[in-house]
Amino acid sequence: MTIIAARTRDSLAIVLPPVIFGVVFVALWQAWVEIEDVQPYVIPKPTAILQSLFDDPNLVTKACVVTGVNALVGLILGSILGFVGSVLTNRFRLVADLVNPLAVTVAAVPAVVIVGVLNNMYALDSQIGRRLMVSIAVFFIVFVQVTKGLRHNNPTQMELMQSYAASPRQVLAKVRVPNTMPFLFTAIRTAAPIAVIIALVSEYFGGTQDGLGTKISGSLNGSNKALGFAYVVGGSIVGLLFFAGSSLLEYLVVPWQRRRRPG
Amino acid sequence: MDTAVPNPAVVVSGVRKVFNRGATNQVDALIDIDFTVQRGEFVSLIGPSGCGKSTLLRLIADLIEPTDGTLVVNGKPAHQARLDQDYGIASQHSGLFDWRTVERNIELPLELKGWDKSRRRARSAEMLALVKLSEFATHMPWQLSGGMQQRVAIARALAAHAELLLMDEPFGALDEMTREHMQAELLRICSETGTTVVFVTHSIPEAVYLADRVVVMSPRPGRITAMVDVGLGRDRSELTREATEFFDRVTEVREALRGTHVGDPIMGVDDR
Ligand SMILES: Nc1ncnc2c1ncn2[C@@H]1O[C@H](COP(=O)(O)OP(=O)(O)OP(=O)(O)O)[C@@H](O)[C@H]1O
Ligand SMILES: [Mg+2]
Repeated sequence: MTIIAARTRDSLAIVLPPVIFGVVFVALWQAWVEIEDVQPYVIPKPTAILQSLFDDPNLVTKACVVTGVNALVGLILGSILGFVGSVLTNRFRLVADLVNPLAVTVAAVPAVVIVGVLNNMYALDSQIGRRLMVSIAVFFIVFVQVTKGLRHNNPTQMELMQSYAASPRQVLAKVRVPNTMPFLFTAIRTAAPIAVIIALVSEYFGGTQDGLGTKISGSLNGSNKALGFAYVVGGSIVGLLFFAGSSLLEYLVVPWQRRRRPG
Repeated sequence: MDTAVPNPAVVVSGVRKVFNRGATNQVDALIDIDFTVQRGEFVSLIGPSGCGKSTLLRLIADLIEPTDGTLVVNGKPAHQARLDQDYGIASQHSGLFDWRTVERNIELPLELKGWDKSRRRARSAEMLALVKLSEFATHMPWQLSGGMQQRVAIARALAAHAELLLMDEPFGALDEMTREHMQAELLRICSETGTTVVFVTHSIPEAVYLADRVVVMSPRPGRITAMVDVGLGRDRSELTREATEFFDRVTEVREALRGTHVGDPIMGVDDR
C-alpha cells in the first residue's frame, strides 16, 4: 500500500512539472493571441488548432501513419543491419577499426540530403527512398553503440570463459553478444525519435505528398495555419509514441540495465 | 586411480611472475614459488593483501602464464588441464551473467561441456539446494543480494564436480553464519568426493578450519615463508572451532605471518 503510494507520488513528481508547464504555456499562448489580437495567419490560437484537429481527425491520422510507418520500417531495418554489421565486422578487428571511426563521423552528419539521390532511384510514388534514409541514420547510431558493447567486457566473466576452455565462437555467442543488448536497446531508444524526424524531413526532398512533412510545409505556407499546427501536433505525438515504445522495449528486454548503468 | 604412482594434483616448480616486465610500472608479484598439492588435499593460501595469492591461483588455472617455472596440474601442463576443464573456479567477484537466470548461470560450464538439458537442470537443482537458494532458481542475478550472488558462483564452481577446486576468497562477502555453513558444506563435499582444493583467504581461522595445510606467503614480492600442517583430522565440526589444537594452529599461522613483517602491522589479514 505505502509502496504503491510512494510509487504514485514518484511518478507524479516526474510527470506533473512538464504537464503543468505545458498547460501554462498553452494558456499563455491563447491569452496572448486573444489580447494582442494576433492574426490567425501569423500564429493560430491553440483552440483553433484543436478545432482543426477534430474537424477531420482522419486527415492528420493518415499523414501520421504514412510518416510513422516510414520511420518504423527504417528504424527496424537500420537496427537489424547496424547490429548484424557490427557483430560481423568485429569478427575482424581491423575492419571494425576502419569502419567504426567512419560510422562515428557519419552518425554526426545530418545526411538527410542523401534522400534526394535515393528518391531518384525509385518510382515517384515510392516510400523506399525515405525508409532507406531513416535506415542509414539508424544504422550508424546502432553500429557505434553495439561495437562499444562488444568491446565492453567484464574481466571476471572473460576469465571464467577462459577457464571453461570456451572457443572464440562460444565466447561471442554466450558473452559478447548478450553483453551488447543494453547498448543495442539504448541505441534504439536514442534512434527512435531521430527516425521520426528524418522520415519527416526527408519528405521535403521530393516523392509522395501524403506524409506529415509535406502536409506541415504545405499548410504552413498556405492560409490554413491552424491545420499546419495540427499536423505538427500529430508529429509530436508520433515522436512521443516512438520514444515511449522504445523505452518500454528497453525496460522489458534488458531490465538489469537500470540497475547497472543508471541514466 | 593410479595408487601405485600417486601423481599430485598440483605441482608448482620455480615459478616467478613479473607483470609489465621492463616497463616503469613493473611489478614483481611472485618469486621462487615451489609447492605441491597432493590429491584430495585441502590447502589454504594466506598472506597480506597484494602478496600474489590471486596471481598464484590464476597461474594454476592457466589464466595467466608464469614468467619462469612450470606448473603441472592433474599430471599434465596447466594449459592442457585447463583445456580439459580439470578444475572448477570461484573468484572474489561472482561474475554472474545478467541475462541468465540463476540456474542457467550454474549450468553454463555444464553447457560448454556438452551436457544435455535434463542432466544440467538436475545438477543445477542439486547445487542450488546445497547453497540454500532453491527458491531463487528462476530469479535473475541482479535480483539477489551480493552474498547470494556469491553463493550462486560457488554452486557454479562445484557444479561439474571437478577433481580440483580453485577458490579465491569465495566466502569474503558472506555473513558469519552463512560463511560457517558454506565452510562446513565445502568440507562435506570434499570429503565425500575426494576433491582437492586450493583456497585463498584473508582469514586465519578460516584457513585453519578448512585446510590440511596452510601455505603462508610474504608481502610483495610474494614467496612462501611457511607451511603449517594443521593435523586436525578430516572430521571437523563446530566443536573443532573450540578445540585447543585449533587455537594452537591459529596462533602458529599468525606467528608465521608476523615473521614475514617484523615490526609493521599485518595489512589485510584478519583474525576473525
Ligand atoms: N594484471 C596485472 N597487471 C599488473 N599487475 C598486476 C596484475 N595482477 C596483479 N598485479 C599485481 O600483482 C600483485 C599481486 O596481486 P594479487 O591480486 O595476486 O594479490 P592478492 O594477494 O590476491 O591480494 P588481495 O589479498 O588483496 O586479493 C599486486 O601488486 C598487483 O598490483
Ligand atoms: Mg586476491
